[in-house]
Amino acid sequence: MKLLARVLVSLASFGLLLAVWEGVVVLFHVAPYIAPRPLAAIEAVTNNWSLLWPLVLEIIRETLFGFLAGAAIGVFFGVTMSKVRLVQRIFYPQLILSQAVPVIAIAFPLTAILGFGSVKPIIAIVMWIVFFPVTVNVLDGLSHVDRDLLNLAKVYGASRWRTFWVIEAPATVTPLFSGLKIGATYAITGSFIGELVSPAGSGSSLALYVEHANSNFEPASVYGVTMLMALIGVTWFLAVAGAEVLATPWQRRSVARRAKGRIAAPSPDN
Amino acid sequence: MARATRVHGSQGYIEGVTSTAILELSAVTKVFADKVVLAPTDLSVDEGSFVSIVGPSGCGKSTLFNVIAGLLAPDAGEVSLQGRNIVGATGHVGYMLQKDLLVPWRTVEDNITMAARLTGRVTSAQRQEARQIAERYGLGEFLNHYPQALSGGMRQRVAFMRTLVTHQPLLLLDEPFGALDAQTRLDMQRWLLDVWRETSRTVLFITHDVDESIFLSDRILVMSPRPGRIVADLVNPLGRPREIDVLTDSTFVDLKSQILRLLHGLDRGK
Repeated sequence: MKLLARVLVSLASFGLLLAVWEGVVVLFHVAPYIAPRPLAAIEAVTNNWSLLWPLVLEIIRETLFGFLAGAAIGVFFGVTMSKVRLVQRIFYPQLILSQAVPVIAIAFPLTAILGFGSVKPIIAIVMWIVFFPVTVNVLDGLSHVDRDLLNLAKVYGASRWRTFWVIEAPATVTPLFSGLKIGATYAITGSFIGELVSPAGSGSSLALYVEHANSNFEPASVYGVTMLMALIGVTWFLAVAGAEVLATPWQRRSVARRAKGRIAAPSPDN
Repeated sequence: MARATRVHGSQGYIEGVTSTAILELSAVTKVFADKVVLAPTDLSVDEGSFVSIVGPSGCGKSTLFNVIAGLLAPDAGEVSLQGRNIVGATGHVGYMLQKDLLVPWRTVEDNITMAARLTGRVTSAQRQEARQIAERYGLGEFLNHYPQALSGGMRQRVAFMRTLVTHQPLLLLDEPFGALDAQTRLDMQRWLLDVWRETSRTVLFITHDVDESIFLSDRILVMSPRPGRIVADLVNPLGRPREIDVLTDSTFVDLKSQILRLLHGLDRGK
């Protein structure tokens, strides 16, 4: 019930956003070539759905692959830098530098290197955006593992390897998901920039569709597709947040679901 | 070798006693940045005994523990456990701190078996033992709970069970009840005495609380800072088993007054 109430409140907040948008357009007599009414924007998408559908699938694929690869690299960098001080000294400044560079600016050379018209530069740009929050959060999480807990593991005679798997890795799950959630919301931006710079395969993409609509003075399409991409971003964020809920049951439950195949403790009564 | 510890009080420490020493320290010294944290210290602890260490902050008691646990290598001196030299070696003692150091992502049962998980695979016999010990000491209903669902006293009990199932003959307890309220603390002390009597381990117990040290121990070491050293080694004449009424016994009060005078420097010129 509580969950349902929360979902309803979230949906209502989106509804409110649309209502404000509608109100502003009507109240201030905004011309349709400047900004459409929300319904017109939605119609611009539904009326062209057969044309848009494959492009939407394509951008979802790019976002998904880029996100997964970026997350994997992000974890790898975070763990490596946390474990090898020298690697951290050498590469941390460069990682920060990589994010200081405007993504759109590196999109051109990346496309030149990885191939114009290929999906590779698009995925590379998504990775470029996603890995950073993951790396920073993993690094931070690993460096904040309780020193006393690590000492306790040492007193027990645990190896570094086992200490990592049994203590440090699980202790970093929550910060890891913080990084993944940031990455999930940004990933779609990476795909969009990539598609603008390097139209893959057929030469058409959702980003080019928006660009085209914009130069043809069809703000309804621009707004509509933008909403659609926002929806993809939000959905992806929710998927990652949902994965976090599944991965961290102790955050919400006081009793664990009994593990499969594990026998219950014998009761002293029988 | 001459004992570095001075003997105070009428009871004194009797050398050449009947039981065998499980732990022997000779001339153990630790210096941090030119500061003598632990002056050359000799200590011999009898098997199965309960020995408390009291002293103000900075008197070197935690350093002494970390040296015995193998987390710190002494600058000089020897540490031997059951006749084996264990200087700088971990994996030989049970160790528990004021912080319970339970991991939030594991259930009570899995926290109890933590040491086994950190050094290898947890066997079904070890699981069985964890369940039995939890049943026996009143936490059987909480085996599948996550630690965050437990009270401070229950968490410390779980931490102690985790220490017990390592089957180390010597347990180092560093202010394990320091963060509990007075009522819970007394309950925990009585509980600890019960468990200690049934499991016949040797306990070395750090505390700030003079009452606690007298209530629990066979022998009390009083430490003093600058440089950290043992200034008195007192045998507790109170018999066992002990119940709450010993807290107001005249023997108890005499010993308490003696320790308090030592701690506050009133007996220095003697």
